[in-house]
Order: sequence, then C-alpha cells, then structure tokens
Amino acid sequence: MSFDNPDQILVELSRLIVGYFADAPYLSFLVGVLLSSVPLIAIFPGCFAFTTWLERKGLARIQNRYGPNRVGPFGLFQPIADGIKMLMKEDIVPTRSDKWGHLLAPIFIMIPAMMGLAFLPLARNMTAVAIDSGLLFFFAIGSLATLAVFLAGWASRNKYSLLGGMRAVAQMVSYEMPLILSAVVVVMMVGSMNTSLIVEAQQYKPWVESDNPLFQCLGQIRGWFVFTPWGFAGFLIFFVASLAETNRSPFDIPEADSEIIAGHMTEYSGFKYALFFISEYVSAFAIIGIGVTLFLGGWNGPNIRPPWSDDPQAYLIPGFVWFFAKMFFLMCVMIWIRGTMPRLRVDQLMGFAWKFLLPLAFINIFVAGFYYYAPWYYGWPVSIGVLWTSYRFLSRVNQDKRIVRKRTYKFA
Amino acid sequence: MTIIFIILSITALTGAISAIFLKNLIYAVYSLLLLFVAIAGIFLMLMAEFLAVVQILVYLGAIGILVLFGVMMTRNISGASSERILSRGWFFGLVISVLMLFGVLIPGLAFSELSSSPAVETITPSVKEIGIQLMHLNTPALWLTAVLLTAALIGAVVVAVPRNYSSKLFLTYKLENKNKSSK
Repeated sequence: MSFDNPDQILVELSRLIVGYFADAPYLSFLVGVLLSSVPLIAIFPGCFAFTTWLERKGLARIQNRYGPNRVGPFGLFQPIADGIKMLMKEDIVPTRSDKWGHLLAPIFIMIPAMMGLAFLPLARNMTAVAIDSGLLFFFAIGSLATLAVFLAGWASRNKYSLLGGMRAVAQMVSYEMPLILSAVVVVMMVGSMNTSLIVEAQQYKPWVESDNPLFQCLGQIRGWFVFTPWGFAGFLIFFVASLAETNRSPFDIPEADSEIIAGHMTEYSGFKYALFFISEYVSAFAIIGIGVTLFLGGWNGPNIRPPWSDDPQAYLIPGFVWFFAKMFFLMCVMIWIRGTMPRLRVDQLMGFAWKFLLPLAFINIFVAGFYYYAPWYYGWPVSIGVLWTSYRFLSRVNQDKRIVRKRTYKFA
Repeated sequence: MTIIFIILSITALTGAISAIFLKNLIYAVYSLLLLFVAIAGIFLMLMAEFLAVVQILVYLGAIGILVLFGVMMTRNISGASSERILSRGWFFGLVISVLMLFGVLIPGLAFSELSSSPAVETITPSVKEIGIQLMHLNTPALWLTAVLLTAALIGAVVVAVPRNYSSKLFLTYKLENKNKSSK
C-alpha cells in the first residue's frame, strides 16, 4: 500500500482486503459487496443522529432558545438518549388496523432510502454502484418511498393517517417532475447518467493538472455546474423540489402537525416511528448528495496534489471530506429554511410545482441546449436573459390577483 | 446464477398468483408490485440494466401509484371485499389461457432465435446505444409514440372535463372576477 495518493487510501484498503480472499471467488465477491455497503448503512444513520442534534440546536437558536444541553457536552449525546428511549417504548398497534400493512410499511420505507445511497460518488472510485444509468436508477428508486408511505397511511386505519398518505402521494408525484427535469440538464451537458462521470466532468482539467497549487485548487471549483446560468437555475429548482420530495418544511403538509397530527406516522410508536424518521433523513441525505453531485461538484473542492506524489490524479484531502462538508452545508440550509418559512397550503403547493417549477425547468432545458452550442460571449448573456425573463414572467402570471386586505387586529 | 433465477421466479409467481387470488384489493396491488420488482430483478440478472430501471420507474413508480389511486377513488377503502373472485365463465378462461400458453407462447419461445443466456458478460454502457438507436434509426417510431401519448393525454383531459358544466362554471367564475375587479 502506497501513500502516494491520500485520496485513495480507503479504496486501496478495500482492494487489499478483497485481494486477501482472492482464492475464493464467491467469498471475495461477498466481502467486496459488504465492504461497499456496510459503511453506507453505518455512516448515514450516524449522520442522521448528528443531524437531529444539529436540527434541534439550530431551530433552538433561531427561536432564541438553548436546545438540548443536558446529555453530554453541548447536548451532543442527546441522539443516543433518544435512540434508547425509542427502543424501550411500547410498540402499539391499533386493534382495527391492518396488521400486516402496519408492520411492513416501516420496513418497506427503509429499502428505497438505503438503496438511494448506493449511487452517491463519495470520492473518486468510491461509488458503491457505479453503473451507467445510475442517476436514472436513483430517481426510479426514490419514487418507491411513495408506496410505503401510502401503505402506512392506509394500514393505520385512521383518518389523519389516510389524509397524510394521500397528501404525500400527491406531493411526491407532482414534485418528481421538476426534480427529474432539472437533473436532465446536467445529463445533457455531461452526456452520461453515470454519477462518477458527472463529478469528473466538473473539473477544469488544464488547471487541475497544472503545477501551480492555486490553479489546482481553483480548477476544481470553477467547473461546478452551479456557476453556469442553467446550472444555477437547475440547482435552485432541484433544491426546492428535493425539499418537497423529502417532506421537509415548508412543504411538510403530509405530516403537518397542526392539521393532521403526524400524517401517515400518527399511529406509529416506538421503533417503527423511529424507522420512519430515519428513512426520512437518510433519503434527505441521499437527495442532497445527488444535488451536490449534479451541481456542486461532488467530491471536488479546493484540493492540491501532495508535494511528494507524481500521480497527476492524487489529492491531499480525501474527496469524501468535501462531499460530506457540502452535504452538511445544504442540510444546514434545510434546517434554516425550516426555522424560517411557514408551511404552504395544499393548493399553493400544487400550483407552485405545476405552474412555476415545471415550466421553468422546461425553459431551463432549452436554455442549456442553446448554451451548449453557443460560444460563451453569446451563450452567457442570452441564457441569463431568457431565464430571468421567464422567471419574472412566471411570477407575474402566477401572482394572486385577489386584493389582499391588510390584516387588522381588533382585540390585540 | 440459477439460484438467483429460481428465487426471482418464485417471487414473481407468488406475486402474480396472490395478486389474482387475494380478496383484499390493496394487498393484491402490493403483490402485483412484488411481481414487478421480481421482473426488474430478472432483467438485472440478464445484464439489461436500463430495462430494469425502466421497469422500476414505469411499473412501480407510475403504474403502481396509478392503480393505488384507482383503488382509492372507486371503492370505499375498507379493504377486504366479500365478493367472490371467480367469475361465472372461469372455466373457459382457464381453457383459453392454457391453450395460449401451450399453443402460442411456448412454441414461440422454443423456435425464436433469441438466446436465453445473457448476451454480454459484464454490464456494458447500454444507455448511449439505446439513445442512438432511438434518435437515429428508429426516430419515426419515437415520434409516433409521442404523438400517440399526446393524443391519449388530450383525450383523457376531454373525457375528464364535463363540457357543459365546466364551461358554465368557468363563465360564472370569470364574470364574478370581472365584477370584483370593476368594483
């Protein structure tokens, strides 16, 4: 094992372990599969535990409170305490509920959440399933969570659960369209649906391979698709749609606490409830990770070649550091939005998806096609102009024409 | 390989048979989805990764939800229905389906030139090839499909909107708005 390329240490380690079992082909295959899947299943729920703490702290700061501060330093061990509490809680199954559906729904919902992680390129050569149609596979599997949510809502035999399930299905089906259409732009530009290739396409090769460390750093940033007009618009559409797709605030109407208690999770308790919670956060991580891959350069970040190495593809800082840094940054933005924005109404939610995001995503596809063929001094201004005009036009058209009377308070 | 195939085909058959015989409609839908998943697995086993993706995307993601919506809209969703599952002419249906299986499907498979083993050893990038096929050689077919789907979409909208009622509603809505704005 060589230390020429610190970026690849984990990859080489796993190759070493697999090579140890080279005599038994089936065993080495099994070990390889376990080595690429078990870390994902271990790390992302760990991230989930940390994020619950982060979210509670962040929301508390936004609301001028302290948040959890009793268990461990800064309340850091709060997730562990929560987990133990969830494990020890009684599992209550309503008498009139559909027993099988009630049992299977939390199990079903974990499958798409965990499978989505397999397509994330955490670093160079660190994609668990690096297949040619990885992006399409991700979206195909992402749409399956709807079925489990519906099953949970139906099997609980509770009006609130059923309403939550119906709302979730309607919302997820509508927001899948802008989500996928905003990702199509990147596929058009790269010419591949392989997530690893999409990340590599976001490097500016002449600078990355130069000898100047500053240019090496910048070369891994200037190629990010978010710095192009179509990429910026696509990223915004993708991020908003992913908020809705994972039922995050302000699109959390399927589990709107003040209206329908907890939606499809109303009749769940104990660890089944925790499974719903975990799957929600893990799928949020997965979808943010795909957003980072598509628009924010994946594992690219300010990174230099180690001075002792001759390998032109060696990096000093492992790529997954940047990947997780960007992922947690976007997670913090999600928490920030949750602390700031009020929940949308159902009709506003649907109108936003079909009348605003969808046309904008379509226009973005045309703009990207134009940008691809036009020279930059022509492509940039025209793309920005078209996108800005269509944004203004769509907001004008969708504006609520009713005159809103200023609210007056009589008794306060 | 054969072990995986046996597991997948048993899953598929279980799903299909229980989709027919289960009395609970929602259970039937979910066992149908089990069948779709098993078929996607068989595609994946045959190294047809794009086909597997499309199977999941279209059959589970779209058709599954469509069927669930259909069940939701048409019946009260208490679940188990007391209606009997076999209709009156079940015997003739059985005879015809057995004849189809042994008369058409099995001879067709036996005399076809398609190989039953995977055409490639490893998963090769197939998406690009499919795209080139669709965009270069089979473009008319793609266009025809698009036109057909658009026609179906327009037809669905026309069927869904009751003409007289909606136009009246639309007019009154417009008039009301006009009155409001004039005030």
